Amino acid sequence: MTPRRPLHDIIVFYSLALPASLIILILLLLLLSQLGVAIPVLGVQGISTYTTTVWRPSYEPPQQTIIWLPMLEPPERGAWYGLLPAIWGTLVSAITAIILGLTFTIALVVFIEEIAPRRVREVFSTIVDLMAGLPTVLYGVWGLAFLGPLLHRYFMDPVHSYLGIIPLFSCEPLSGATVFTAGVLLSIMITPFMVALVQESYRSIPFTLKEAAWSLGMTRFEYVRLNLSMILPSIASAILLGFGRASSETAAVTLVVGNAVNIGFCIFTPAYTISSLIANQFTESQDFPYMLNALFAGGLILLVIGLVVNSIGIILLRRVRF
Amino acid sequence: MVSPAVETRELRVRISGRDILKGVNLRVPEGAITAIMGPSGSGKTTFLKVLNRLIELIDGVEVSGEVRVFGSNIFDMDVYTVRRMFGMVFQNPNPFPHMSIYDNVAIGARINRVARSREELDRIVRWALEKAMLWDEVKNRLRDPPWRLSGGQQQRLCLARALAMKPRILLLDEPTANIDPVNTAKLEEALRALRRDEGMTILLVTHMPHQAVRVSDYIVMFYDGMVVEEGPTSEIALNPANEITRRFLRGEM
Repeated sequence: MTPRRPLHDIIVFYSLALPASLIILILLLLLLSQLGVAIPVLGVQGISTYTTTVWRPSYEPPQQTIIWLPMLEPPERGAWYGLLPAIWGTLVSAITAIILGLTFTIALVVFIEEIAPRRVREVFSTIVDLMAGLPTVLYGVWGLAFLGPLLHRYFMDPVHSYLGIIPLFSCEPLSGATVFTAGVLLSIMITPFMVALVQESYRSIPFTLKEAAWSLGMTRFEYVRLNLSMILPSIASAILLGFGRASSETAAVTLVVGNAVNIGFCIFTPAYTISSLIANQFTESQDFPYMLNALFAGGLILLVIGLVVNSIGIILLRRVRF
Repeated sequence: MVSPAVETRELRVRISGRDILKGVNLRVPEGAITAIMGPSGSGKTTFLKVLNRLIELIDGVEVSGEVRVFGSNIFDMDVYTVRRMFGMVFQNPNPFPHMSIYDNVAIGARINRVARSREELDRIVRWALEKAMLWDEVKNRLRDPPWRLSGGQQQRLCLARALAMKPRILLLDEPTANIDPVNTAKLEEALRALRRDEGMTILLVTHMPHQAVRVSDYIVMFYDGMVVEEGPTSEIALNPANEITRRFLRGEM
């Protein structure tokens, strides 16, 4: 016979279990409502919503297409909401952010952990932690007013004029508001977060392993390389979680990305990301049929990217155990 | 006594203001097994880590005196060169967890660039594992991660890693403190064979008097940061001159 539990135990259990399970329920509701609102436009435009590059709001609703047939060109008449440029912009800005952010992250972690004297180390660690918590709109305004123009004049213009034959830099930068600026700004924003992840696992490498490495006569470079290879899963995890953040960041990106429907290999052009598209078009979307649904179809993609990338990232993070 | 592999003069070590070694004068003979024994806290491990300058990893360490390895002062040499002369096995097995068994051994050779080709590296890894008496147990699972091995096997893997460096001197810091008797016997057997077949100079720190007597040619008795007695094992085991050594050998410490 199981012993009887006192009444206050039962009360405490249920009063905590309820809000805890509510959180799970909300995630489920979020998924369902994203899907629910997205379904009408997917029913009309089908899978082509994600494969076409035309964004054409109109009072005349989109023409019915075959749902499972991905098209590259939408029908001639009526509204059309193709999300490919925004998806592309999201990927380009997030990948730019990851490439730069990873470079900053490795440099910072190695500097803080291996090179800086103790005092400097603590100052750096604190500043990096502080930066991770700043409101993102601050980065956005700073990016718009300072970083964008700066990059435009001292980086994008010269690079375009000297290396313009490379497709990546082939388009002429007209202002500082480009998908590249968004990538740079995002890299600055995700670096503190990535540093926190990588640094924690770098610090968890036991002293006995470090001793073993030094006892083999490793140089500092070989030693750092060995340590980094030991925490490779958490570096991969930082990349994924950083990608999750970069692809979903809204306020700052909307301010600097330029907000234009554009797709191509050149990164010096204004573009949309999914999140900036939603933020920018949300008010108007009430007026046109299916437009709000199309924005939710974009949100659905963000949600899927977020869930997949974050869960893989979290699983990887758990793999580093000494 | 044969020519010394290691010679220290007035070696003193202070860590955060505490005297750990208080003037150690010692000559470690080449091609022999020297056991450094003594109770915990007597400075044995510190002495070992001064030799390959691993002690410098600890904050607040002051070292004074002279250490000569094969005639050269180690404090005049670049630290990596010093460390590459020594192979070291630690108190707890510490193979690199993200590398295969093979790579754990190969890294010792790679860092010291002792192999010029893939085949030569394979040969060195095999040689090191055989010398560590581990080859037969792992030859069919060289790609496995090291944590699949038992603690005693991991310790012999660490011995193989150190051997693959082709070191001139082997340092062992209480290598059997945390492993079972069967594995202890295998490791001791491996050390004796290394001395016999390769003429390896071995320094073995141990707090177990029986182990010192079983494997060593010479015994050095440490107590409170000083050498209280040293000499051939046969003499010290049968007829210790110092009261502290006598008590330690009787297991009264």
